[in-house]
Amino acid sequence: MTGPVALVVNGVPAPATDVPDDERLLDTLRWRLGRKGTKEGCRTGDCGACTVLVDGETTLSCLTLTHEVAGAAITTIEGIADDGLGRRVQSAFAEEDALQCGYCTPGFIVAVTGVLAELGPNATRESILDALQGNLCRCTGYLAIQRAVERVRGGTP
Amino acid sequence: MTFSLERPETVGEAIRILSDPSYAPAVPLAGGTDLLLDVDEGRIPARTVVSLARLPWRTLHWEGDTLVVGATLPFAKLPAEAGVRTRLPGLVDAVEAVGSLALRHRATLGGNLGRAAPASDVLPILLAVGAVVRLVSASGEREVPIGQFVRGSRETSLARAELIESVAIPSAPRSAYVWQRVRPANDVSQVGVAVAWAGAPGAWQVALGGVLPTPVRVAEAEAQLPNDPPTAAEIDLAARAAAAGAAFTTDKRATESYRRRLVSTLVRRGFARAMAAGGVP
Repeated sequence: MTGPVALVVNGVPAPATDVPDDERLLDTLRWRLGRKGTKEGCRTGDCGACTVLVDGETTLSCLTLTHEVAGAAITTIEGIADDGLGRRVQSAFAEEDALQCGYCTPGFIVAVTGVLAELGPNATRESILDALQGNLCRCTGYLAIQRAVERVRGGTP
Repeated sequence: MTFSLERPETVGEAIRILSDPSYAPAVPLAGGTDLLLDVDEGRIPARTVVSLARLPWRTLHWEGDTLVVGATLPFAKLPAEAGVRTRLPGLVDAVEAVGSLALRHRATLGGNLGRAAPASDVLPILLAVGAVVRLVSASGEREVPIGQFVRGSRETSLARAELIESVAIPSAPRSAYVWQRVRPANDVSQVGVAVAWAGAPGAWQVALGGVLPTPVRVAEAEAQLPNDPPTAAEIDLAARAAAAGAAFTTDKRATESYRRRLVSTLVRRGFARAMAAGGVP
């Protein structure tokens, strides 16, 4: 079976027609809507490369059926800098050189933005890092990523 | 893999679709973080996937001292709810052990129970505190204690076209869940241990996950704990008794002998954490 899905991607209505019932949000974004910033890593929910925000919540788009999020507001890496916090996270990753091969970077920037928004300004460093455990960097460049998080929080990197 | 997705708006409609042979094989979908992988790889045959997302089960409320969690409430919503962290610290430990935050934004308690994985991080604490699963089907509602609900690895007492509606979890202010993994983040536990002081029977309960096809209570360990608070010597005896039980699993995550050592260590850690959580009376 297929059917239409009305998504709002990065604030813009993005209707998709003939979306198969079993299609994942990851594939709809990449192949139907052309938003290829969202990466496919493991496709089993282990790596976080496919992280997007669904109504503001960090979500693994590889484990989410597109029809299950019909009507939701989706934020991908392409739209993350439309928001002040997302823009600061993106800049901090650039300033701290918080990437090596870069494959995990879109998922990380989206996840850091979602986690900082969800946990709020008083969140501890430990609770923020806990909430980022689902994002893997196979280059193991975690220290620079931690510095980027600290830079956004306004602490000493 | 290809299936049709149904998104019923009422419980009755969901049960009707699950019962209708023309949809078979049909499986219920909660968060999908576990189910979809099994459907993808053909471990679960599914012609129809029945989403429970529109049912009114994203709920959480207290019935006196019992927390009632709706089947489709995402895990991430649970720890923040008023009173849960103080009245059920062991449940919060377990919920926060599941996957990553992004996964917990979709994964649900109902889904975890329905899938009944041997290494589930939430089943041991539910067993230790004496949770009851509330089920609904065309023939009405029934309640099943968690120990009877889980029948085997990935096996439950759910009948065909029967759904988990909610889980009733008695509060246990002194409770804890501790675990060990190859990689701490976002991995499957080798062993998980839940301990809880259950007020009604007035006894310490000890439950293990990841060591057998189903989570288990260990009566031999509990028998070593007649006093409250337990003494260090009693906890030591309980830890040894828990580790000396029936044949544990050997699999890719750990050998049986390593699991025994983990159980012994984690029982001690569990008590330390539970006593710290609720304070010594």
